[in-house]
Amino acid sequence: MLHRDIGNFVAALTLVYCISGIAVNHIEDWNPNYQFSQEEINIGALPEGSYPDMQRYVVKSLDIDPASVRGHFMETDSQFRVFLDNTEEVSVDIHTGQGLFKQVKTRALFYEMNALHLNNIKGAWTWIADIFAVLLIFLAITGIFIMNGRQGLTGRGKWFLAAGLVVPVVFSWFVIA
Amino acid sequence: MLPGKNLTFLIILGLFIFLSVSETISAEPAAKTGGQVYGAGVENIESVSISAIAADPEAYNGKTVRVEGMVTDVCAKRGCWIELAGGASGAKARFKVADGEMVFPMSAKGRSAVAQGRVVTETLSLEDARALEAHFAKEAGREFDPESVTEGRTVFRIQGTGAVIGDAGADD
Repeated sequence: MLHRDIGNFVAALTLVYCISGIAVNHIEDWNPNYQFSQEEINIGALPEGSYPDMQRYVVKSLDIDPASVRGHFMETDSQFRVFLDNTEEVSVDIHTGQGLFKQVKTRALFYEMNALHLNNIKGAWTWIADIFAVLLIFLAITGIFIMNGRQGLTGRGKWFLAAGLVVPVVFSWFVIA
Repeated sequence: MLPGKNLTFLIILGLFIFLSVSETISAEPAAKTGGQVYGAGVENIESVSISAIAADPEAYNGKTVRVEGMVTDVCAKRGCWIELAGGASGAKARFKVADGEMVFPMSAKGRSAVAQGRVVTETLSLEDARALEAHFAKEAGREFDPESVTEGRTVFRIQGTGAVIGDAGADD
């Protein structure tokens, strides 16, 4: 009874951890949190003057709402960057006017699931994750003993238990050590 | 009497009670600075300009500094570093934390920030300098020409203990 109820209780969070786990396992192949896009632009050479003048030119040329500008930065002798709200950015060569309009968007659901899985938010979530882990330990242990007879630990269950144990033991022994 | 349902109810109730009395997150609004506090935050000490450290990193090696600037880049994969620009054009400092210790969101770009940590310098050979630039280029998703780095150099980072990222943009 307890095994069933706790199993239902942790089902949603187990899915969150599993889906996020697959997502972050492949972090070298894709970004599980953000999507990036960029568009080439050419606004012509920027006028000589102060950096705020250059910023105003960029904003006007691209018809950007001036209120959305967060700041600017002269990255190199020629590379001028203007930062905007919504994680948008204009990066432009001041001599040629060529550059990129960059956008970053969070991956819906993945961003939130990864933040929970990796405990980015700390605080109370640390305790919730600990409780969740204890419940999973409970499920794992009770799951071993839940069946009796030929289906249980004294029957075929022991072989599956052993097979599940072999995987981490083999990797610990031959790969990690 | 259904003990299973009662147990589930009690667990959910317990979690709600727990949540109601707990701190929610470590990154919370900082009353004085109007921003999100990460890690240990920052102490009320005088800030050092990023361009001063960049000009002579060895002079600050091992010292704890507080710096201020605009966030120009964020680690896109793990949120484990931010780059702060301040002072002279092109002067930037990489503020690095251990993976998971603090996680900076991409939305921090363009915001003003105050950060504190220990300056760590490293003298790189030509080969190592190229490898580092190649790594940075890969992180930023841009092409890198090894020939653009022609000599070894001393680089620095700030090993972070805390930061406050402002709610407003650097120009607000």
